[in-house]
Amino acid sequence: MISEILTSPLGAIFLSAVCFVLGSWLQRKVRSPLLNPLLVAVALIILVLQLTGVPPQAFTDATQVIAMLLGPATAVLAVSIYRQIQVLKRHFLPVVLGCLAGVLTSVGSAYLLCSLLGLDRALTASMLPKSVTTAISMELSRQQGGIVAVTVAVTVCTGILGAVLAPLLVRLLRIRHPVAAGVAIGASSHAIGTSKALELGEVEGAMSGVAIGVSGLLTVLIFLFL
Amino acid sequence: MKILKQISILLGVCIAGSVITRFLPVPFPASVAAMILLLILLGTGLLKLHQIEQTADFLLQNMAFFFIPAAVGIAADFGLFKNYLLQLAVVLVITTLLTFAATAFTVSAVIRLTERRRQRKGQQP
Repeated sequence: MISEILTSPLGAIFLSAVCFVLGSWLQRKVRSPLLNPLLVAVALIILVLQLTGVPPQAFTDATQVIAMLLGPATAVLAVSIYRQIQVLKRHFLPVVLGCLAGVLTSVGSAYLLCSLLGLDRALTASMLPKSVTTAISMELSRQQGGIVAVTVAVTVCTGILGAVLAPLLVRLLRIRHPVAAGVAIGASSHAIGTSKALELGEVEGAMSGVAIGVSGLLTVLIFLFL
Repeated sequence: MKILKQISILLGVCIAGSVITRFLPVPFPASVAAMILLLILLGTGLLKLHQIEQTADFLLQNMAFFFIPAAVGIAADFGLFKNYLLQLAVVLVITTLLTFAATAFTVSAVIRLTERRRQRKGQQP
């Protein structure tokens, strides 16, 4: 009975929403960046699936509606950019050069570390595009002969890692300018990081959104030469 | 009715974005094409902010929620990379830290340079 409910779209969306609300509530209560709502929600969902014996694949199949909304959610980043268009115009050059530095660092360091640790070509290709948004990284990984499922996993992990670390890094590295913080979050951890940047402030959120687009474009360009 | 109108507009933009990418010579993500298209529509005034604002804000404020299927999917594909867990984790953490630092410092440095130039220009008569 329970497994039937959890693998129906209504039940799966219900479980996702309840777990996400719990995660957000927990973060407000405890105020620790480690208790990222997405991380808590996913942990709770996997726990429930384990306890009820529902295979994760059956659950994710039932949540396709949620995954489908990722497209519109990425598109409306245009709204947050539009609200901060004056800030973007003023800092256009720093934003673009920052994203370029981020993309080169991300792809370059991933390549070096993967070869250093002896990962094979398919796994390396799956890791290279992980800092850009899932839609782009999947496509680039496929082009380079990577394993798409691994790319999706490491891209999502990178995003969660970025969202968790962002507030800490901003303080630790003494990033005072909200534009620098926002672009760094977007360039290193795409849309999941941006969901954190939106919480830090309007400027951070918008610049992080800009960085997703710009780094995505630059990464697509760089991959043409790989 | 109002929200339904907003949803229709946003979905229309997304569909237009995915149609555009089919005509591009290189693979390009439809959601980013839709983002650029929406920015153009807002910038040119063809679309007013209030026509999509509530729905856009709902999506923006709950963005992380839409990643739940992909994140739970990691559990489903766990077998694919469980032998390389440590290596992948090391690469992930180090590259994310480096990327964040490189981007943040570059932006800060270029902002400092451009602001200084602007000030100098401002001082000249």
